[in-house]
Parts: sequence; C-alpha cells; structure tokens
Amino acid sequence: MNHCVPDFEFDDDHWIPTSSVLNRPRKSAMAEEDVMELLWQNGPVVLHNQNQRSLKKSQPSFPADQSAPREIPSSHHHQQEQQDHLFMQEDEMASWLHYPLNDTNFDSDFCTDLLYPAPCITSTTTTTATATATPPVRATHVTDSRPQLNTATTVASAPPLRPPIPPPPRRTANFGLFARHMPREVASGPSNSKSVTIRESTVVDSSDTPAPMRSMEGASGVNNNNRCRNTSGAGDAATSSGGGGGGSSGARDLTMCEMTVTSSPGGSSASAEPPAQKPAAEDRKRKGRETDDEYHSEDVELESADAKKQSRGSTSAKRSRAAEVHNLSERRRRDRINEKMRALQELIPRCNKSDKASMLDEAIEYLKSLQLQVQTNYFLQMMSMGCGVVPMMFPGVQQYMPNMGMGIGMGMGMGMDMGMSRPMMPFPNVLAGSAMPTPAAAAHLGPRFPMPPFHMPPVPGPDPSRVQAANHSDPMFNSFGMQNPNQARASNFVDPYQQYLALHRMQLPLQQNQSMVQPNASKPSTSKGAENPENRPSG
Amino acid sequence: MSSRRSRQAAGVSRISDDQIIELVAKLRQLLPEIRDRRPQKVSASKVLQETCNYIRSLHREVDDLSERLSQLLSTIDADSPEAAIIRSLIM
Repeated sequence: MNHCVPDFEFDDDHWIPTSSVLNRPRKSAMAEEDVMELLWQNGPVVLHNQNQRSLKKSQPSFPADQSAPREIPSSHHHQQEQQDHLFMQEDEMASWLHYPLNDTNFDSDFCTDLLYPAPCITSTTTTTATATATPPVRATHVTDSRPQLNTATTVASAPPLRPPIPPPPRRTANFGLFARHMPREVASGPSNSKSVTIRESTVVDSSDTPAPMRSMEGASGVNNNNRCRNTSGAGDAATSSGGGGGGSSGARDLTMCEMTVTSSPGGSSASAEPPAQKPAAEDRKRKGRETDDEYHSEDVELESADAKKQSRGSTSAKRSRAAEVHNLSERRRRDRINEKMRALQELIPRCNKSDKASMLDEAIEYLKSLQLQVQTNYFLQMMSMGCGVVPMMFPGVQQYMPNMGMGIGMGMGMGMDMGMSRPMMPFPNVLAGSAMPTPAAAAHLGPRFPMPPFHMPPVPGPDPSRVQAANHSDPMFNSFGMQNPNQARASNFVDPYQQYLALHRMQLPLQQNQSMVQPNASKPSTSKGAENPENRPSG
Repeated sequence: MSSRRSRQAAGVSRISDDQIIELVAKLRQLLPEIRDRRPQKVSASKVLQETCNYIRSLHREVDDLSERLSQLLSTIDADSPEAAIIRSLIM
C-alpha cells in the first residue's frame, strides 16, 4: 500500500493526470504523514497502519542504513516512495501479500480516484501496449477506425480494475492488467466509446448514454469507435491545424473519452463516476460548444439516432447496424470534409464565419483575390524588370483594359500566374487606378497585339531565372517578405474591387480576351507559366 | 437518414446542401488542377483539399513575388512610373 501510493506519485509524473495528482497530495503529504493519509484512501487501511508503524520505526534507522531513507528528509515524493518501497520490501512483505486479496476492494475505492483520471494519460500511453489486445475483439470494427481510440477506451475501462501493484513497473503492470481486463471490458468498451462519441458532440446526452450503452455492444461499437476516432481525429486535426484552442479541446476530448469510458463500465466504480463525470461534463460542454460551432450538428443527430436504434433490440439492431455502417461511412466522409473546411478556414484570413456556405463563399473570394494578387505581382515584377521596354500606348488603354483583365498576365507572357477565372476583372482597374496607366496600357495592349513591343524578349529569359532566384532567396527573406504580402494581399483584395466598380461595368468579353491571349500565352512559357496555361478556361 | 437529419436540423442542412454543392462547384472552377480533368468525379473533400493546397501555394507565390518586388522597388528608380505603381499596389 504505501508503495502504492507513493508509487502513484512517482508515476504521476509519467502517466497519472492531474486529478490523480490532486488525490495524491492528499494521500501522501510526504514523509510519514503521507502514509497516514493514504490509509483513509485505500481499502486496506490496516495495511497502511501496519506499514506506518513499521515505517516510523524503521525510518530513524533507515537513514543510517540506506541511501534512500536519507532522501526522506528531502521531502521528495519520489524519494519517499522509494523509501516506502524499501520499507515494504523489508518490513511490509506481509502487508504486501495482502495486496492481491484486497485488489478487488481496491477497485471500488482506492483505484477509482487515482485510476480514472489516470486512464486519460495511461490510455494514450498504453494504446500501443494494448493495441495488440484490442484487435481480436474489435477486428470487425477496427478496420477503418483508428486502433488507438479503441484501445484507449478499453484501456480506460480497465484501470478501475487494476490493483495497485508495486513499484515502478506498475505502469507496465497496469498495461498487463489492462490487457487482461480488456476482453472483459471489450463488450462494454464499444458502449463506453459510444458514450464517448455521443459526449463529444452533445452536451446533454452523455450522462444518459452509459446506461443504454452497456446493454448493447456490437452495433454501437462500430459507431462508437468511429466516433471516438473522429473525436481524436478532430482533436488531432484541431491540434495540428488549430493550435492552442483546438489542441486543448482535443486533449480534453481524449481525457473525456477515457473518463467516461472508465466510469461507464465500472459498475463497481460508482464512487468514481461522479468525480469523473464532473470534469467530463465540463469538457463535454466545452467540446460541445466547439463542435456545435463547427459542423457537427448533423453528427449529433446521427448519434442520438444510433442510440435509439441500439436500444430497440437485436433484430432491429441488425437492420440498424447495416444502416449504421452506412451512416458510419457517411459520417466519416463528412468528418473528412469538415476537417478540410476547418483547415481552409484557417487559411483564410479574418474568416469568422462558422457557417459552411458563407465560409465557402469567403474562400472563393479569397482565392480569387489571391490569384489576382499573384498576377499583379508578376506583372509588377515584369514591369520593374523591364522598365525601359514598356511602350506607351495610352489612348487605347481604356477600351482594352477590361479585356486585359487576364490578358496582362498573359501578355506578360510569362504565363506568370494566370490562374484567374473570368470574373477577375479588377486587374486592369488596379493598373488604371495607379497613377501610371501608361505602362499598364502597354501591358494591356501587349496581348492585344500579338506581342508587339511589349513582348520583351529579354523578359522570358530573365524571368525564369528570376523566378528561380526568388525561390532561392525566399528562405532568406521570408520573414521580411511576410509583412508585405499581408499588406499586399489585403490591399489587393480591396482595391481591385473598388476600382473595378468605379471604372468598369464588368461585362467584358473575357472570352475573346482569353482566346486572344491563348496564342500569346503559348509563346513564352516559363517555369511558372506551366501551371497557368492549363488554367485557361475553355472560353 | 438524411431526411431525418435534416428534420432534426430544422431543415438548415437541407437548405445548405445545395448551396454547398454550388460553392464547391465554384471552387472547382477556380482550382487549376481540377478544372481540366475529371470534371464530375472530384468529391467535395478533394475540392477542399485542393483549395487548401492551392491557397497555400498562392500564399507562397505571393510571398515570393512581394519579396522580389520589394527588392526591385528598392533598386529601381524611385521616380519611375513603375515604381509608383508598385508602391501603390503593395504599400
């Protein structure tokens, strides 16, 4: 026992999460007091007493005898544990023998507090260890769902049953126990995971799910596993893409999964449920909020539907299982899409829309503006590089400008980045807006007249080299360049549009422009241009 | 399923589905890679993925170009028209 508690503390750093830490300080204040406190927490109080007595007796002698005891005065949990270990080994052998007998008792009282929160981390760490155990049980379900979650859920359920085994290897021992308990827990595992899944998306249902969960297993198992997987996937995606907020939510989800899972299977862990559910509820709310904000509303309904189906019975469950499989794949597909939408949302600056449609709208606009900006940049580069070559065909500018929207880039011939679609008219406006329409006009006219003076033979030459040079210099100037791009992007985003509205009535025969540009574009094809020619709309 | 879902969702998802399909189609038009090949085969997921990749590549390109423009701007004659244009655009 003593070793148990101190061990927990010792292991705490590794796998036992915060809750256990909270418990631990209570239990083991350090030195003798710790042992005393442990007593009330653990089932085998008697053992503690015995141990304590022996400890007290031995402590004074220990420091003199052993190196570990010397650490005691340092009030180090870790050392205290070691000391206890020694104590146990020497004096408490008898009490230790009692351990296995008390294991069952432990499950209900002692382990719950420590183990439930622990699973959060233990499960994650033990996933690999338990992975081998889970496959046989979840063979059918594991195919596409990540094994991690499955093992995590099963592992999480296992901890309550794990007796506090001695020392450092406890972690590994726990794993073994998890594996042992897994077959037992597997049946309830899926249901537990189901509760987890439901929990992740809904705020309210979590408390209700455990009951029905236990009743059914197979049908819900698949969904549960997937749900858990999705949760973890979402969490992972969030962590990967979203950064802090997403990451924390993902971590919370995982912990939630563990905690709820452990709570549900543990009929014996009734005592542990309330505390476990409380943080789980909080996490659920948080997660629910976040997920609801995202695109999980549909998933919530799906899950509740699944729960209903499962409660009906085996026959209907079979039917619903098939439907659930379909739902499963559908949900997976939807989750994939949602994940990508989140990634897209992060790429789009100042995107505060939670609605899919509006977000896609913004994405489209942003993409267009980006294309425009790239085109503008290329044009500017060309201009700055070939300053002296730009002819001044001023008069014809006005009428050509609208048509040149895309043409300019094409005319520049470098096929710079002609990823502009028809609607991208603003480009000529930008040039017109700038105080120097002349060069712009020249640029505009370039495509108009098959490469008249504008073609700038030298440009294609230097251009590829410059493009490559830019790429080379990119790493060096990335930090510097970042400021401009942001501004440029923003400005281009706004200016072209304004100018466009101010100067042009948009109905421009882009088609003819593009068709005209085609031959021009074909001529100079730089490395960058390769991607653009294929952008040409068939128009 | 979808009907139940949309019912439960108060019909919001039903309404948005068409919009989303349309938007995805629009996006597809913008993406250079998808536009020319397999017009009907791409899934929404792929479109979104391609969009993200495309946006990232465009970002990179804009960064590169802006960087180069900054350098060019510093080197070319400040009074030239080109410089004025460049300055107006990126500053």
